[in-house]
Amino acid sequence: MTIKCVSCGSCGFPMEKPEDFALGDPSQPYCRYCTDTGGRLLPYETVLDTNARYYVESQGVSSSAARGMAAALLASMPAWRDRPSA
Amino acid sequence: MAKVSRKEQKAATQQHLVETALEFFAARGFANANTADFAKAANVSHGAVFLHFPTREALVMRVLDAFGDRLSAAFNAAMEGEARLERVLRAHVDVLSEYELFYSRLVQEGALLPKKARSLLFMLHASVSRRLRLAAEAEAAAGAMREIAPHLLFNTWIALLHHYIANRDIFAPGESVLAAKGDELIAHFLNLLKK
Repeated sequence: MTIKCVSCGSCGFPMEKPEDFALGDPSQPYCRYCTDTGGRLLPYETVLDTNARYYVESQGVSSSAARGMAAALLASMPAWRDRPSA
Repeated sequence: MAKVSRKEQKAATQQHLVETALEFFAARGFANANTADFAKAANVSHGAVFLHFPTREALVMRVLDAFGDRLSAAFNAAMEGEARLERVLRAHVDVLSEYELFYSRLVQEGALLPKKARSLLFMLHASVSRRLRLAAEAEAAAGAMREIAPHLLFNTWIALLHHYIANRDIFAPGESVLAAKGDELIAHFLNLLKK
């Protein structure tokens, strides 16, 4: 049984529709939230902030806990796992 | 007979390990499960497990990821066409019912999971919260439902579900608590939000 959908190589967001991908292009490795209007990956701190905010808005967890969880997840993502300080 | 490539074989083994892991963690929980017993359950060598999942945490992350895919697939089917909160709640209950024992382990042991796995679990919750919000906003805009902050919408629903799941042996001994109580919980939650 395989239902695996493609997920963003930066934040893990499941990319199910073309508009979920950077530039609306399903061949792109990252989602629209992790990229700028040219499809380039945003800086780590920006992606971290976006992900932390997602935890806070969706579940009301504290900002510091949200930031810690976002950092833990990003550390395993292809875009960030080789980051020196990760 | 078509020859199976190494890549296909590797993917098939990994799929087998993931399916076994869903059952294994459901039966054993996360804290008491070790990879040696998992290898026996999967009928592979201990080394084969490490070949695919270098650490126990990597296996837990992969199985959570697989569970998340199933949640997503259920929600996508439920949200085709008009987004209705009842359909989203039903999809959630149905998929959790299918993996109820596994999910009950997450409810009971979630706070004890390694940080990365716990973060992924909360990311799965965030994805559920997003679906609830989208459906609830559409119904609130149509005037049928009260507006409620997204985190409270999700936390109210999940608290209800988790209470029943954590105490499933009392609410529905010997059967699926979500199969037994799911309709009642959905109806109650919708009633709370009704304008």
